[in-house]
This record gives sequence, C-alpha cells and structure tokens, in this order.
Amino acid sequence: MGVVHGDLMTLNIGPQHPSTHGVLRLKVKTDGEIVSEVEPYIGYLHRCFEKHCENVTYDQVIPYTDRCDYIASMNNNFGYAVAVEELMKIKVPERVEYIRVIVAELNRIASHLLALGTYGLDVGAFTPFLYMFRDRERILDIFEALCGARLLYNYIWVGGVSHDFPNEFVETVYSFLDYFEPKIKEYNELLTYNKIFIERTADVGVMPPEVAISYGVSGPNLRGSGVKWDIRKNETYSIYEKFDFDIPVGSGIMGTVGDCWDRYYVRMQEMVQSAKIVRQALKTIPAGNVHQALPKKIRPPKGFIYKRTESPRGDLAYYIVSDGSPIPFRLKMRSPAFTALSVLGEISQGWMMSDVIAILGSLDIVLGEIDR
Amino acid sequence: MGILENKFQDNVVVASMDKLLGWARSTSPWFFQFGLACCAIEMMATAASRYDLMRIGMIPRSSPRQADVMIVAGTVTMKMSLRVKKLYEQMANPKYVIAMGSCATSGGPYWQYGYHVLKGVDLVVPVDVYVPGCPPRPEALIEGLLKLQEKIQAERPLTKKIA
Amino acid sequence: MSEDQDKYIAEVVEKALRGDMDAINNIEDRVTRSKAKAALIKAKRLSKTAAAEAAPAEETAQTDTTPTEKSLNQKVAEALAKKFSGSIDSEDVNEYIQLNGKNWFEIAQYLKDNPDLLFDSLQCITGFDFGEGEALEVRYNLHSMTHYHAIEIRIKTDRNDPKVPSVEQVWRIGDWFERETYDMYGIVFEGHHNMTRILCPEDWEGWPLRKDYETQETYHGIIVPKVKEGWE
Repeated sequence: MGVVHGDLMTLNIGPQHPSTHGVLRLKVKTDGEIVSEVEPYIGYLHRCFEKHCENVTYDQVIPYTDRCDYIASMNNNFGYAVAVEELMKIKVPERVEYIRVIVAELNRIASHLLALGTYGLDVGAFTPFLYMFRDRERILDIFEALCGARLLYNYIWVGGVSHDFPNEFVETVYSFLDYFEPKIKEYNELLTYNKIFIERTADVGVMPPEVAISYGVSGPNLRGSGVKWDIRKNETYSIYEKFDFDIPVGSGIMGTVGDCWDRYYVRMQEMVQSAKIVRQALKTIPAGNVHQALPKKIRPPKGFIYKRTESPRGDLAYYIVSDGSPIPFRLKMRSPAFTALSVLGEISQGWMMSDVIAILGSLDIVLGEIDR
Repeated sequence: MGILENKFQDNVVVASMDKLLGWARSTSPWFFQFGLACCAIEMMATAASRYDLMRIGMIPRSSPRQADVMIVAGTVTMKMSLRVKKLYEQMANPKYVIAMGSCATSGGPYWQYGYHVLKGVDLVVPVDVYVPGCPPRPEALIEGLLKLQEKIQAERPLTKKIA
Repeated sequence: MSEDQDKYIAEVVEKALRGDMDAINNIEDRVTRSKAKAALIKAKRLSKTAAAEAAPAEETAQTDTTPTEKSLNQKVAEALAKKFSGSIDSEDVNEYIQLNGKNWFEIAQYLKDNPDLLFDSLQCITGFDFGEGEALEVRYNLHSMTHYHAIEIRIKTDRNDPKVPSVEQVWRIGDWFERETYDMYGIVFEGHHNMTRILCPEDWEGWPLRKDYETQETYHGIIVPKVKEGWE
C-alpha cells in the first residue's frame, strides 16, 4: 500500500475554545490527522502584574498575587508571604504556621479537584466534572466561613493571617475529611480505572525526565515522569518537616512512565496525602494570637531574595528586589504553568488532534499564571 | 386583550404576540461560554452541580453562531479585545451581552497601572447587564441573568416593526 | 538658651561614649544631668543596632572561617576564572556572580556539563532596570537537580543597545524566558531563533517594565488609559 503525502495543514485552535483552559491560542500543523507541530501563543491575559507590583506597597500586592493563579490562591499568597518574611527576618507564631499549612493543603485538594474534573470534561466524561465540583463546593464553603470569600481570599498576610478560625471550624474540617476520603474510591471507579479513559490517556504524551528538567517542568508533571522532587521535602519551608507524608511518583502502571495517565494519577494520590497532612495539623495545632507578628509598616531592608514554594502546579518562585522603601523595586513571579506549557510542543509531535487536547489537559495550566 | 379574557374554556390562553414572543425568547437563552479569567471559574461553578444554570434554561454553547447571550467573564486585554469584537459580530441577532465581574465592567483592580488591560468591555461591544463583584458569587450571576430575562421580556419586537 | 543646652549635652554625651563619665556626673543642674543620661542611653542603643547590622554582614562576607572550605560561589568563580579568563566582572561573589557577557554561551554549557557543578535546570531569567538612564541587567537563577545547589548569575548591558548571548540551546526553557525579557525590557538575545514578543501584541510600542515607560494613548482605535471624565 502506498503512502500519500500532501501539504501540511495549519489549524488554529483559537483563543476562545472550550478545551483550552482559558485564553490560549494553539497553531497546529497537521498532516491529515497526525500533528507535526504545535506552537502555543500566549499573552491574551497579560494583566501587567509586575508593573502593578512596582507601584503599590508590599501588603497591597497580595490581592494581585491571588489573581495570578486563581484556582489555588492560598498557595500564591503563601509563597509571597514566606518570601517577604525571609527578606525581613520576621518569625511568625506557631499557630499561624499551622493555619497556613491547613489552608494551603485544603486549597491543593480543591485545585486538583478542578484540574481532574475539567480533564475528564476534555476527554469527554461529564459526570466526574459534576461530582468533583460538588466536593469542591464544600471546600469553598469552609473557606467562606473562614475569610468571607469563595475564590480569591487575600488571607495569608506578611507576618500572619487575616482572620483566626471561627467557632467549630476544626469540627467542620474533620467532618469534611471524613466525607472526602471515601470519595477517592468513587472517583477511581468512575474515571481512573475506566477502560475508555485508560485507552485515551495511557502511553499518550510521554515526557522523558531529561526533557522535563531541561524545560523546567516541576510539580505533578515532573513527578509523573518518575523524578522524586517536591519542594516541601527537598527545600522545606514553613513547618512541613513536622508532618509525615509521601511523595507519589509516576511509575508507568497503565502504560509508559511519564504518560498522561501517570500525571493524572499523581494528582489523585496527592489529594490523599494532603488530607493526611491536614489531619495531622488539626490534631496538634497550638493556641495563640494570629495578629501578633504583623508588622506595622513593611519596609524590608535593601537586598534581594529568590524563594521557592510548592503550589499545586509545581515550583512557584518569587524574585523580590527591595531598595528599602515600602514599595517593591522589582518583583518577578516565576510560574510553574509557564514552563509546563512550553513543553507542549515537544511532547505532542506525532499524536493525533484529540490526543493534543488530552496532553494539554494533563499539564494542568492556568492562563492567569502564565501571562500574569 | 381585555375583552377576550375569560370568554373561553380553561385550557385556552389569550395573550398578545409580543408577550408570547418575549416569554419564548427570554426563558431559554443559550449562553456563549466566553470565560477568560477568574470569573470563568465562578461561571463554571454556576453551571455545575450546586447552582445549576440549566434549570433556568441556559446551556453552554461553544460556537457563537448557536448562542444568544455572551457572558464576558474576566479581564479583557488589548490583544483579546479584537477577538471579542469579531466573535460578537459572528453571533446572530437577537444577541445580548452580560459583563460579568469588575474587570469586564470597568477594568477592575487593574485600572490604574494596567497598560494592556481594556478598561471595560463596553468600549468594544454594547453591554446589556453589568454584574459587579470580584468575582461575583454564583447567586449574583444568576440574578444578573434573571434581570436580563426581564429586559428581554420587556422588549416589543413586533410593535417596533409595525411602527 | 535651650540650643546651647542641646550642644552642651551633645558634647558631654560624646565624651561619655568615649569612656569619660565624669563630664556627665559633674553637671550640677539635675534636669540637665538627667537629660544627658537619657541621651547617652539612646546613643548607646543606636550604636548597638548599627553594630548588630554590621556584624551579620561581616559574617556572611566570610562564609567560612576555615581556609580549606570554600562556598559554592567561590568555587564556581575560581573555576570560571581559570577556564574563561576575563569574564567575571566583580570580585564580590558572596551572593551572586557578575559576568560581563562575552563567552556566556560557552560558560553556560560548562556550568551544565561539568560533573561537579551540573546545573541542569534554569529556574528563572529576570530582567532588571536600575533606573532611568542607567544600565539594564539580566539575572539567571540556576539549580542542580543532582547536587541540590543553586547559584545566581548577573550580566549587565548598556541601555541604548542591550545585547546578551542566548542560552536557549543549553536549557530549552531559555527560549520563552528570553522572549519575555525581550518583550518587557527590549534586551535582544543574540542567537535566539525567534526573537519576538510573547506577552504583549506584536505591534505594541515601547518596553513596558522599564522605569521610563509611558503607556501609548490608543491601540487600534481603542483608548488605552482609563478615562474618568463624563461619569454621571
């Protein structure tokens, strides 16, 4: 049988598209149905975050960091507060550290639920989306009782947090965890071990570890390729060393190491580990005043700092340069989704069009963080 | 219509054409999912299990040619504003626009130093309902949609044509 | 009268700081004596905090007291000075290494391939503007996934014609990071295969993150800055 070759067709998956997780434009060159090149175009959500940071004070930057990665905004705040506190050499009370870890891990669960729910939607499964959003709403209820907002919290401040736990908060979180842990089994039955899902995601979009490191990929994407790297354990910050939790790593159970199913499964396991951390933190949280260490005026000394923390998408870092005034001189946010999207062109060559959508969904990108 | 009321059996309803058309058009507006930023997550949450949007007749459509309402959810940037205009022009009449969130209303928290942010989507498309909030709660978005339904109901499509 | 009193108190406190307490103790007026003692306590406290700030700076300057151990920065700086002479710009390598831009591509390959260093991960490229009329700078944060050490490298360029060699062939993520730095500061990376804007539109005017940037008035007919007149 002869092989027919024609010209490459350029297809535009435009900025408005239901599967692109935001405003992303992909220019795809295909030979029939097989993709030969994918080029992402970004910048459709560039909201000048770094220019704002050079004009407002350090504590006014926090709502802007919320809106960069709007799905996991507690973790954004956390990374920024930890960086500025290290620059100013402030020590926060124990209770504040415990509260921060609890809300950061709960937000990690909420973020992964959204990522996995929309991934199911991308490959055609509508029911897991509704189930995961139902459980995500319960976490958002907890956050609303804590600080009044559902999505963008402005909660973790430099030197403390904005509100202490309300009444019966600890019981509410315990009852949520008791409700949530059996749900993982339900999601596994619905989606993870579903034959159609496995056919669509196993062996697809394999990312070798050298490619991942050269492209700066981190977080669940890197762990899905077998590299055991987690900033909470390797360059630990806050009080993560007090808790006992595992780092799930992809091992090619359903196909090859580093395929889409591995990245999905790492996120699923991470939710279990986060629930474990929250349980340990709730058991040993001390009493105290959360507003004790809030500085009256935030004027860091002259200097710079590059601080990395673990957000649900990977390795979030802030590079802050201070010149002694209450306004940052330069603030750069190094977002994990930026590097995750750059590897899309490399790992989607040779797959079919619908596989490109499956690979894009498994990278879990948020355009607000990429474009800032 | 007054003299004809209650003159027939119980299962015969008399109404003006305007009212019938208004009722039909307003109770099933299909929305064009134009989620750009954080407000898109709240729009998805409104369409999901707890605050179900389908019970008021709205289904998400991804093609502008099949949609009635465009919900601009999130910040519109200069790069995106040309595409917003293009997509609005591709929608078929009658079409409506809801500006969801403070970024779409007037630039939001980025109004002062945001060189690349469009200060309100009403600079490129005509807006019918503004829903404030950052992000607006799902209940606020549903209230905005119900207000849009009232606005559509109050239109007199046939009367305009005759006069 | 009070000005003379202040000057007198200042003189007396000076003498006391140098160790001569008699001057204060011999003041006959009780009010003046107590004022002088309060001023002395305040002066001692200020000098203590100044000394405390100076001391940790000194400590970080000498990262180790033993002459045999060297910090990572010093080891890297020595290796670079030996292999690529003339590329290190400044002697102070405690917090970062300042290079001068020539041979940067070869240095980057050396940093990545040398088995002791193995900086296989480029974490972040940040552009930096020192102020209006001053130089621009590019800062690289490198990290090693095998040896778990990190380093920062800075390269300064001229404001009017900024050019830095590109490292996108060494670390593949350099591609997008360099395009972003070009978009925001106008620094051209030589050897890059596609030096175009990545965040702002292709026809945007100006380099936004520079300190002397002014927003353009209109873009394709749409007004860019916020218009505050005409509100009801």
